Amino acid sequence: MDRFLPLVDAIIRGHRLNEADGDDVSQTVWLRLVEHLGDLREPAALPGWLRTTTRNECLRLLAARGRIRPVDPQDATGLDAVVDDSAGTDLLAAESRQLLREALAELPEARRALLLLLLADPPVGYEEISRRLGIPIGSIGPTRARALDQLRRVPALRRLVEVTP
Amino acid sequence: MTDPMSDDELMALVGEAVAEEAVVSDRRRTAARAAFAWRSVDAELAELLHDSALAAGAAVRSDGDESRTLSFGHSGLTLEIEVDGEVLLGQVIGAGGASAATEPASVLLERPDADAQSAVADASGFFRLEGVRPGTVRFVVEQGGWSLTTPWVAL
Repeated sequence: MDRFLPLVDAIIRGHRLNEADGDDVSQTVWLRLVEHLGDLREPAALPGWLRTTTRNECLRLLAARGRIRPVDPQDATGLDAVVDDSAGTDLLAAESRQLLREALAELPEARRALLLLLLADPPVGYEEISRRLGIPIGSIGPTRARALDQLRRVPALRRLVEVTP
Repeated sequence: MTDPMSDDELMALVGEAVAEEAVVSDRRRTAARAAFAWRSVDAELAELLHDSALAAGAAVRSDGDESRTLSFGHSGLTLEIEVDGEVLLGQVIGAGGASAATEPASVLLERPDADAQSAVADASGFFRLEGVRPGTVRFVVEQGGWSLTTPWVAL
């Protein structure tokens, strides 16, 4: 369950609820999941279920708070266009990042560790990376390329390429 | 077909994906873990029959201070509630065997992170709860051997 927290969190963030309402949606989603654990026999269905449930609970709470405002009918990019298109793309992107985290977790430890060090903020220099991981500086670049190739080959991630502009 | 992502583009996406993990608040993490304590194997849940927040027109309501109405049903019992600010008015309606119950219905408003509030309905099934804060709740209704547990819902 822990690994899906960022997915639910990202979808809530995309709906711009205030912090307290976001907490309530998050809690509701996990409680609903616990209610439905018996029906969800297929683990692969879980991300989709979480995505749909989180989105519905966000929209429901926004409506209950009267936060979804009427739009000017003269405006061609009205409520429907905004909500459906941007939310749809955001949801797919959020789910893609979830897939990416899972693909990352599947990488061999040494490759994953290297990618995480290369992403560290503040940045970690190649010499320090070499020392920490016990690999020559010259193999950092090739290992990074192999790790990324491996991520790219994960079938579920192919959609990511299409989602990203 | 889309061009394959460059290494740098993919690396940037990995960075975003990893960053999302770090921003989940401890509060949400703890609440999510606590949710699993509420697992009950035998509970058959009431169905949500109506929620004014989901009804057509909810999305274009402009003031946001209208009351919220919800109704749930399960095996002969229906629970209707109306939340207006922190006041909750409700009615338990029995059909079939449940309508013959002579004792009053008892209603429990449960929260995952706070004590439950309880009320006893009058002869017509009406009850009232005050000090109902926003948050995630569910209702458990019992009357004459009939019971109804609602799904969790954020008020």
